[in-house]
Amino acid sequence: MENYFPLDNKTDYTHKIVVVDDDDEILVVMSKWLTAAGFDVVTALSGSEAFEKITGSAPSLVITDLFMDGMNGLELMSSLHKTNPMLPVIILSGQAGIPDAVKATHMGSAAFLTKPIEKIELIENVKRYLRRPSGKPGEHNFSDKIVYCSQLMAERIELAQLIADSNVTIFITGATGTGKEVFAQAIHQASPRKDKPFIAINCGAIPEQLLESELFGHEKGAFSGAIAKHDGLFHAANGGTLFLDEIGDMPLSLQVKLLRVLQDFEVRPVGSSKSYPVDVRIISASHRNIEEKVQLGEFREDLYYRLKVVPFHIPALSERQEDTPLLINHFLKRYAQDNHKTEKRFAPDAMQYLVSAPWPGNIRQLINVVDICATLNKADTIPLSLARSVLQEKPGEIRTLKEARREFEKNYLIGVLRIANGHVANAAKIADRNRTEFYKLLNQHNLNPADFR
Amino acid sequence: MSPEKIVVSIDKDLEELIPGFLNNRRKDVNLLNEALANNKLDTLKSIGHSLKGVGGGYGFHQLSAIGEAIEKKAKAGETDGIPELISGMADYLDRVKVVFE
Repeated sequence: MENYFPLDNKTDYTHKIVVVDDDDEILVVMSKWLTAAGFDVVTALSGSEAFEKITGSAPSLVITDLFMDGMNGLELMSSLHKTNPMLPVIILSGQAGIPDAVKATHMGSAAFLTKPIEKIELIENVKRYLRRPSGKPGEHNFSDKIVYCSQLMAERIELAQLIADSNVTIFITGATGTGKEVFAQAIHQASPRKDKPFIAINCGAIPEQLLESELFGHEKGAFSGAIAKHDGLFHAANGGTLFLDEIGDMPLSLQVKLLRVLQDFEVRPVGSSKSYPVDVRIISASHRNIEEKVQLGEFREDLYYRLKVVPFHIPALSERQEDTPLLINHFLKRYAQDNHKTEKRFAPDAMQYLVSAPWPGNIRQLINVVDICATLNKADTIPLSLARSVLQEKPGEIRTLKEARREFEKNYLIGVLRIANGHVANAAKIADRNRTEFYKLLNQHNLNPADFR
Repeated sequence: MSPEKIVVSIDKDLEELIPGFLNNRRKDVNLLNEALANNKLDTLKSIGHSLKGVGGGYGFHQLSAIGEAIEKKAKAGETDGIPELISGMADYLDRVKVVFE
């Protein structure tokens, strides 16, 4: 399976921070601090200069002074949030009172800091709102392997880090193309088993007899064609991790055998009368609803509970729209490197179009679209027209207007709730709806404001 | 005035910026004196405000405190005490000794 997320590439994790202040001395000092902390910094002396610099690029975070001539900090934030409601904006001010801070928060600022600003306070806030890995860029740790800036992914990473250290069995769910194997591999790499093998197998892609022999091994002559002894993947993964992808497709007969291994930590090869002990951590995954399969009697309930000691869900790309620009730029860079070509970029309207697309095929689909666009476009800037035609060339993936609207509405509500930290009155205000109406919308989409606090 | 030095520890990352920063503050002293002489309260307020924001940022917290006090007085339309604040700032700039850490 292809890696959907870049591994250990320093530049991919250098977040771009835009700093705006009409006092050039403050601008210089903040720029120094942030650069020393490993960020890529762009400075602007006014709101309008910042707006121009930001349009067409994909900053991870903006820090802006509140009071400036021309476009002030709140106006800048409001303009930026029109096209990217998830962009974290930190407002900085030397003369603001509580009403200004409240207003800024209501309008969606990530934080409101007062001058004089201290280095530690600034860096801590930037990291908090970026959910940037605490290690230095390029340092090999779990989160450095995955491109993200969203809170949702940051939470997934935190959970993955917690469970990586133990030996618990993990069951990964997520739609097709979300990167289940990448996460499994990252968990393995962050675990004490990292120096031992990580072996992945797609249970749905191999016929039943072959799968049994692949997993557990066989003796010479165990079946016709077994001309030599085969150790199997449990043996090969001993001491390490075995990733069983599409476990929902495993035949019932093999499910019993797998259950026995999980209970006894022993494997018996096909055609052998002897079992041998194994020490293998199992991570399994499925894009199917296994609970449904359990109810239908197609998947053993006892095995299901053995496998999902820790359930781990990977969100769809549409649930973490704010990560899309980072991923797109990463894949453009990778395309350029792999094909020895100049790195291309998407025009701002094309980027916006891609960010708001539904991506039913998730990151796998995103990679395809980026690669096709980069291949077909002769110039350095990929226009909206090309992005649109490439994305729409997949008629099976286009949804109805009603579906698309519903999806947009849900994502919008999630974005607003995040901005308002789950405060319904504030979220309703941002959405220009009364509280009753807003609650009704939340119910329609099964959203719980408490999840955003 | 005491000749004793005031030692301030500053972030090593800012080393190259400090001579220019202190030079700008000396210019601020002149601008503040000029504004005071001409009773330009808005200028006093604006320089005080910017001093408050920039001083602590670079690690010179006393300059921020002086800036804040000048801003407050000018905002209230008072000049009483501003000459002392300006001379306190000039004295601080004469005595400050920066150590980079």
